[in-house]
Amino acid sequence: MDPTRLKEYLPFLIPLIIAQLALGITALVHVLRHPRYRFGNRVMWALVVMLIQFIGPAVYFVFGRGEE
Amino acid sequence: MNGYAAFLKKEMYEFAKTYRLIIMLALSAVFGIANPLVAKLTPEILESLMTDGIVITIPEPTVYDSWQQFFKNATQMGLIVMVILFSGVMSTELTKGTLINLLTKGLSRAAVILSKYTCMVLVWTASIVLSFGLTYGYTLYLFPGEEASNLLFSVFCLWLFGLFLQAVILLSAVITKTGYGCLLITGAAAAACMIADIIPAAHRYNPVSLAADNMALITGAAEPSSLCYAILVSCMFSVIFVLLSLSVFRKKQL
Repeated sequence: MDPTRLKEYLPFLIPLIIAQLALGITALVHVLRHPRYRFGNRVMWALVVMLIQFIGPAVYFVFGRGEE
Repeated sequence: MNGYAAFLKKEMYEFAKTYRLIIMLALSAVFGIANPLVAKLTPEILESLMTDGIVITIPEPTVYDSWQQFFKNATQMGLIVMVILFSGVMSTELTKGTLINLLTKGLSRAAVILSKYTCMVLVWTASIVLSFGLTYGYTLYLFPGEEASNLLFSVFCLWLFGLFLQAVILLSAVITKTGYGCLLITGAAAAACMIADIIPAAHRYNPVSLAADNMALITGAAEPSSLCYAILVSCMFSVIFVLLSLSVFRKKQL
């Protein structure tokens, strides 16, 4: 796709990127600040949260987050 | 009533603090934005995959493709995410025993159930509104001048099916006490509805047609009046399930 077409889709891409970053960073902060998980370890969850778009943070908060 | 309001506030606060609210809203927003975009880009993606020998002709995407994406995502991912997020609605408090203190201090059991259901309904409504609003706005932007019929009614049907499913979640959560049991029963109930949908005569009355006929409504292939029995049945069962949850929870040993 040439760059001019990309510009056309910027109104879509910017909110998507913001949403992904917001989710990813919230989850990453949580992963780093809370050492206990239901399964897995810190490195694994940090990678999952940052690399898997949208689903990664959701999976972490629902299944991976340990009890306080 | 006082207990209801206080417990509802606590429920919403818990939903936000366990990060479920942000997940629900963020995923709704992402789907809302991505739906029209995917509809618009699908032909280009397929085109880039084409090699010399193969020619695929793809019709120009229309406003219907965008709404098809919306209803596909909302009825599959949206409902699945909703069910998973809400599956722990009773179990965390029942297994930790944190409810007992509140109940012995005079909070009525009915208030617990009703405020939990209200919380689920509020969150579901917010995420549907967000997703629908974003898809609507971006569809207008990408496909200007095209209109879809019965759009609001179609989304209303989907919303109503969500309420029905939440009543099922509530009842199964009250019965089973564990999050996985709740998931299992809700899944079984949804599967039963879908299997019953095979019988053509049952389609008129089946709640699942509220989440299946959306595209037909939009393209004009189905009349809104064809769904009135399904709407009635869903409302009736939602009320019955909530009442049943109330009566089961009243007698439940905590």
